[in-house]
Amino acid sequence: MACNHSGVCLMSPLLQDCSLSGSFAPSATGFAPLAASLRYQATALGLEPRITPGDPAQQGLGFTLCHPDLQPVQAQVHAWPDGSAQAFSEHTLQAACGLMSVHGRASGKAQGLGLDYVANLSASLALQGAFAAALGQLRGGEFRQVQSSMAAAGVLGIGQYLAGATAGAEAEHLLPGATCAKQRPPFVSADGVHFELETLDAEPWRRFWSAVGIDGEAAGQGWKAFLLRYAKAIAPMPPAFRQALSRLSMARIEALCALNGMAVCPLRSLQQRAADTDLSRQRQQGPWSFTAGLGSDAGWPALAKGGLPLSGLTVIESCRRIQGPLAGHLLAMLGAEVVRIELPGGDPLRSMAPCVDGVSVRFDALNRLKQVRELDIKSAAGREELYERVRNAAVFLHNWAPGKAAELGLDRADLARVNPGLVYAYAGGWGHDRPGEPLPGTDFMVQAWSGVGERIGQASATPGGSLFTVLDVLGGVVAAQGVSAALLQRALSGQAVRVDSSLLGAANLLCEPLLHAASAPDPVLKGVYPTRDGLLAIDCQTPEQLQRLAQMLDCDLSAGPPGQDAALRSALASQSAATWQQVLGDADIPTSVVVQDLSQLAEDGRLKTCLSVNTYTSVNAHWSFR
Amino acid sequence: MSISVIVPTLLRTFTQDKKRVEVQGNTVLEVIEHLERDYPGVKERLIGDGQVHRFVNIYVNDDDIRFADNLATALKPGDAITILPAVAGG
Repeated sequence: MACNHSGVCLMSPLLQDCSLSGSFAPSATGFAPLAASLRYQATALGLEPRITPGDPAQQGLGFTLCHPDLQPVQAQVHAWPDGSAQAFSEHTLQAACGLMSVHGRASGKAQGLGLDYVANLSASLALQGAFAAALGQLRGGEFRQVQSSMAAAGVLGIGQYLAGATAGAEAEHLLPGATCAKQRPPFVSADGVHFELETLDAEPWRRFWSAVGIDGEAAGQGWKAFLLRYAKAIAPMPPAFRQALSRLSMARIEALCALNGMAVCPLRSLQQRAADTDLSRQRQQGPWSFTAGLGSDAGWPALAKGGLPLSGLTVIESCRRIQGPLAGHLLAMLGAEVVRIELPGGDPLRSMAPCVDGVSVRFDALNRLKQVRELDIKSAAGREELYERVRNAAVFLHNWAPGKAAELGLDRADLARVNPGLVYAYAGGWGHDRPGEPLPGTDFMVQAWSGVGERIGQASATPGGSLFTVLDVLGGVVAAQGVSAALLQRALSGQAVRVDSSLLGAANLLCEPLLHAASAPDPVLKGVYPTRDGLLAIDCQTPEQLQRLAQMLDCDLSAGPPGQDAALRSALASQSAATWQQVLGDADIPTSVVVQDLSQLAEDGRLKTCLSVNTYTSVNAHWSFR
Repeated sequence: MSISVIVPTLLRTFTQDKKRVEVQGNTVLEVIEHLERDYPGVKERLIGDGQVHRFVNIYVNDDDIRFADNLATALKPGDAITILPAVAGG
């Protein structure tokens, strides 16, 4: 263990008594970014990943988690939930899973994020499944194998938007290009600095814009648009807002923000982020920070026959919005009994449109598997009840603002007194080192600060990051994964562990491949192209694939852009995107129809097993265990 | 003056499941006071310490009252009040 400047004892890599081996050698296949993320995450967790040859009889990427007390856990990650071997890449998965559609709502058109997003989601989820299986074994279950897929991870990532797009009569119809790609945050100053603004309250917003010369009524319209970011991935601001800021210097804007209580964060480049002193340690520890506790011999309830790995374990969740609730949702998918603490009257987001049967589908998508207890945790009686509930729980998970846990008497030390073996989890904004504070730890601020926003902006030809909640979603997955790892460590060693994860940790994870000196080679040909009917995403990763594509389309693609683009468009105009997906896919060229209308997702045979069509389309449990 | 109030799902337990109710009032605050009289319990879900809760947005027609005169925002015949959850932050 080592102690940091605040005297907190940080652990050596959490799972150093376990090991991981698998077919995660670098390759030119669609699995390459998944393999890279698995190698990186496994190293950070102390699993010392060992590369073994893949089993040619098995589709997908396989790995094995070992520990002397366990039967080996074999994990298999497929590209598609149906196990299909059709060629794919990160780019074509983002097209097929609806990510391009959601990102496109405010970026002008259907396009990718320019980051290995699905691969990272999928790697975190696959490791989480393996940890859960190991834990299930230690609790008396079988759980030798766990299967998951990359495409299902992508669909899980847009689950809330999918719910909104399929909510019966109230369904949202937001297609790529639905809103202007320029009249949205981030903004640009007179001296050319791109920056994000953030406030969670209307009053600083009103004061700031008044100082900039926007009257109250217009500021109210802008606020309404600004609030749509988190729910709908759009923020259609009236042009006057951008114009007003484009006349002011960055120094002046920062001064007005300080004066009026508005947070501001210039978009930083990845080079700037790479020079931060906190980054090297964060890269080493991965997107989680584990802190050792005293531990306990107290056992958990035995696993009932036929249960899931976390069945019978209670998770107390006090979280709002996206990141924390998604983490609780994933633990519930693994069988945990998640009790959601809501303020008296219930979480107001239950009413957020669109609703089916009186409940927000977006809320339901993240919380449908949980029990709810309404509790005023600021009152003495509410706190007492919470202590009582924590006494018998395995996990406490929260995403409160920094400092609030201590203020409420619900920090790790407070709850350890009640339950020494508790896994205490905090899914925060800036993480253990808190480098970005005092900026609010929200998705768009962390995108701007971490370099993720700049990277997405470059890839999308927009002023900055995505209005899809890129980091809330990955942060939620990483939080649940950290909890699963901490539960496994608790079962192996009896040691109680605190796990801190954050939006910034998720951002670091996404940027990890870009921070390597030897980053991945540029793709040979990658883009989204119109066809006779629909858009097609193509991603040739090798010169051989490009040559095959040229042959199949009977056109010359040797010229490079823009001649290449014109030739492709002309050739692709003869058939529909669905036909090309079949024809080019059969020729082993990574290709996919770009799903623009999310309500069409459930019609893709490749995704069928990961979706349920009921009053809205929901995403099924990510893992299957055997 | 009678004003329509569009009630969010979470408050319909107070309004016998009615999605829209008619109450009297010349300002937003008066409407909320009248709502409380007809449907006890509603007020504390909307207001605390004389302010609208941070997680609640109240609109008069299309306009957020925080950008008008807040709870003192004046109403005119035919106005409709909509109460919605605020979604700020992730």
